[in-house]
Amino acid sequence: MSSAAATWRGLGDRIRELPRPVVWAIGAAVLVLLILLPFAYQPASGFIDDCVTALAYVVMALGLNIVVGFAGLLDLGYVAFYAIGAYVIGWYGSGFFAAIAGGKGLHVWAESAGALPGIHFNFLIVLVVAAVYAALAGMIIGLPTLRLRGDYIAIVTLAFGEITRVFAINGADIHPFGKDYPLTLGRQGITPIDPIDLPFVKQFDPLNLRPWYWFALAMVLVVLFVNFRLRDSRLGRAWIALREDEVAAASMGVPLVKTKLKAYATGAAFGGMSGAFLASYLNTVNADQFEFSFSIFVLAMIILGGLGSIWGVVLGAVALSFINSRLIPDVLNGVPHKVGLNFDLTELSFGIFGFLLVIMMVLRPEGLLPERRRQIELTEGVGGDETLYEARA
Amino acid sequence: MEAASVPARTTRTASLDAARRLVSHYGLIAVLMILPVAYGIHDLRVDGDLSRLGENLKDGVSNGAIWALVAIGYTLVYGIIELINFAHGEVFMLGSFVSFSFWSALGLTLASKGAGLLFGLLLTLIVAMVACGGLNVMIERVAYRPLRNAPKLAPLITAVGFSFILQNVGLEWLGGSQRGVDDLIKAQNDLFTIGGVHITHADVLAVAVTVPLVALLAWFVTRTRLGKAMRATAQDPEAARLMGVNVDTTISLTFLIGGMMAGAAGLIYALYQTTIWFFQGFQAGLIAFTAAVMGGIGNIQGAVLGGLIIGCIQQISDNRIGGEWTPAIVFAYLVLIMVFKPQGLLGEETREAG
Amino acid sequence: MTDRLAAERSARTGTPAASGDREATSTILQAVAVSKIFGGLVAVDGVDFEIPRRSIVSIIGPNGAGKTTFFNMLTGLYKPSAGRIGFDGRDITARRPDVITSLGMARTFQNIRLFATMTALENVMVGQHARMKAGLFASVLRLPRVRQEEREVREKARETLEYVGLRPSLLDQMAANLSYGDQRRVEIARALASDPKLLLLDEPTAGMNPQESARLTQFMETLRRERGLTILLIEHDMKVVMGVSDRVTVLDHGEKIAEGDPDEVRADKRVVEAYLGRQEGR
Repeated sequence: MSSAAATWRGLGDRIRELPRPVVWAIGAAVLVLLILLPFAYQPASGFIDDCVTALAYVVMALGLNIVVGFAGLLDLGYVAFYAIGAYVIGWYGSGFFAAIAGGKGLHVWAESAGALPGIHFNFLIVLVVAAVYAALAGMIIGLPTLRLRGDYIAIVTLAFGEITRVFAINGADIHPFGKDYPLTLGRQGITPIDPIDLPFVKQFDPLNLRPWYWFALAMVLVVLFVNFRLRDSRLGRAWIALREDEVAAASMGVPLVKTKLKAYATGAAFGGMSGAFLASYLNTVNADQFEFSFSIFVLAMIILGGLGSIWGVVLGAVALSFINSRLIPDVLNGVPHKVGLNFDLTELSFGIFGFLLVIMMVLRPEGLLPERRRQIELTEGVGGDETLYEARA
Repeated sequence: MEAASVPARTTRTASLDAARRLVSHYGLIAVLMILPVAYGIHDLRVDGDLSRLGENLKDGVSNGAIWALVAIGYTLVYGIIELINFAHGEVFMLGSFVSFSFWSALGLTLASKGAGLLFGLLLTLIVAMVACGGLNVMIERVAYRPLRNAPKLAPLITAVGFSFILQNVGLEWLGGSQRGVDDLIKAQNDLFTIGGVHITHADVLAVAVTVPLVALLAWFVTRTRLGKAMRATAQDPEAARLMGVNVDTTISLTFLIGGMMAGAAGLIYALYQTTIWFFQGFQAGLIAFTAAVMGGIGNIQGAVLGGLIIGCIQQISDNRIGGEWTPAIVFAYLVLIMVFKPQGLLGEETREAG
Repeated sequence: MTDRLAAERSARTGTPAASGDREATSTILQAVAVSKIFGGLVAVDGVDFEIPRRSIVSIIGPNGAGKTTFFNMLTGLYKPSAGRIGFDGRDITARRPDVITSLGMARTFQNIRLFATMTALENVMVGQHARMKAGLFASVLRLPRVRQEEREVREKARETLEYVGLRPSLLDQMAANLSYGDQRRVEIARALASDPKLLLLDEPTAGMNPQESARLTQFMETLRRERGLTILLIEHDMKVVMGVSDRVTVLDHGEKIAEGDPDEVRADKRVVEAYLGRQEGR
């Protein structure tokens, strides 16, 4: 374990020490490889399928990383934003509201939807709406936690995640806008969902996964860009200051409420975007997708990679989603039978993630590709937990 | 800002403060009364008596007794190391599993009666308590102790991780679906009826196990040397260490007691509900945590009171609003309490820094 | 507005609004009958207090006299239980700490509270937060004005750290890895970076040797001379207090028991009692 860890650390440092142009060149080469990757596989190959999911998870993990990694607010209800994003496309990109406009449907830039009933917005609009709704939800969930200490924040966000799920499950019985317009379809699920439909491009096709892959890759690049820009900005410094010492941060002129809410909103927006994408990709929005364990799945990604470390989080998300989709079902599944145990490892996946959380926190809390700051904080235990409101009370 | 306005402003603040204190003291109680009072009025108008509400509250109290036992575990642990022991709900779940497996091994069945049944169940209770207490101590050793000096986020994350591990243990043990267990005590049979409210075997069992356990715990914490060490450590670990208290042992002891209570709760739950499954701990954990916060975290009486109240809310909601909404209602209470009265019903105002 | 407050206060208490014949034309901060009660315990009891512009004023008192509590009310960390606080022409009673900072008050802490995993430079950049404008979207797009602002802020942080005497090689060192003295320097630089009119130092010489204390004393004078700062000091080291202060206020058990120039305070009977009485008690 420790020698592997040392190798990782060495790798990270070595990359950091390389001259800038070299780093850029390597980055560009990797990017070209990633763009060309789908051509090495069949258009509907299982591997590309897993890659698309992994990239969507990377977007979510990077979003959660802003809240947990940068601002230090432990959010255990991140699945709520996945749900909100997914329902946004369920509402605005499917036949779900079939009664709208007298059954003729409501279409905005959605040529491929023809004259289908229901609301059909262009996916780019859906993406923006999903981000906005999720960001608003993030702020609403964030508001009551502003005065709470870290562990209470965890519980309140968890509770909000569960409340969201209860609403998703029972939403078929809620009709806020008249009896033809329920909130959700509960466990039955809203399906089909409009495939992504972009201007100037043929509508995405469930049998050709390449465009999905490229779109997901583009989302990751955008989110990465935003993450880096924010980290090195006034706001990013304020987040880290807040995480380190709330009292000192406030005394230095950092407005706590605004700064925390911005973290919640930004993180949530990415979750919403990824949720809308995944719903379109999976072609269904089902209340059972929004379990608490999904929040933990995403949390495990950022812990594995390294809290606050952007590249670490990418690594963690890719690794965990492949462990989830490939390693556990394909490789490990045979193992228990070989050693005479009689159970199915796919059932165990969340136990494995739990195990990973414990192991990482105890043995290598800073993650595989640590952020330099966090490494110090987590291994030497600096930084205070006192909140301003405790001091103020 | 004229000086003349200074005293006027002060009196206004004073009356405002008084109002705020009033709301803070009684607001939560008022909010908690909404459901029972509303349905009480409803019953009086529709049925002409309160027996339906009484039935709800009775079920609430006996269910709440289970939550109270689980809540004690949260409250004790939080009181001493300020950690939400996320895995506690899973310890409770495994309490049910251990109980079921053990009484099956003993050969207790529907046919068991009398002294044999009583003795068998007592033995099961002890086994469940010991197993869960031991498990809880082990969790602390493995997952929390190495992180005692790390930022608070770290043990919280391992706690979540452990809860998933234990959930999977449960999943592998008895499978992924609800498992019916033998109705050993004929749980839903009436023992007697008061004022139209049916008291069942299960109700009596829940109260008969919980009351002595809580009394014993209260005696232990206030009267014995170890109990006093526990309270001292909860108040100020550093001072307790200086006074010669072995803090590590005390923390282990706290986890042991919390786990034992959860084990007992697990047995009652299995006998009471007659179905158990690996996911029961997640919900139970959150409900019990809500109870602990409601009562005032760190406060044992508070945990019991919170457990009973949350039990009643849950029963009223299950029976009147629909079980599918109960989690949302319980969590809504949790959020409200956390935001408006984080010190709970019986908790003290947080100590001031400075 | 605050001048009227000051006049009213001085009429009530019978002390002049500004002591001495300094050039100070007005007061920068006044507190009127400020109290703080912690669950029945009176930590600060009806303290009247003011600071003339461009002066160096100290608050002294035995441990637990309520000095830091008083400080925390001035900077907004605590809400006063009663009383009003005016700063630079505004009522700041119970305002949020970040608002007070943006109005021009900055502080250091008794037990240094740097952002441990940020570099010295980043710490000082955070100190300028209230003086910056870049919002979320502008930062993502890194608009030209944001780029410009970042450059200026970085440059100013560097200058400020140089001004307080941090070695340039330590600029990118993480705060947690700095020596105690350097951490003190960075903390003062972080406070200075917010362009304060009033600087509050909470026991800045704690843990310093006499030479370092003397240097800091000199530095305070420099700050006043070169930057026109007003300084409020909490200090245990009497040598520092007597050497640098224009005026000294003595707190004991939350009450103001004496006020005046250093010589007057030194001669005050109640002050001697407060200190000696305590020492005998030990």
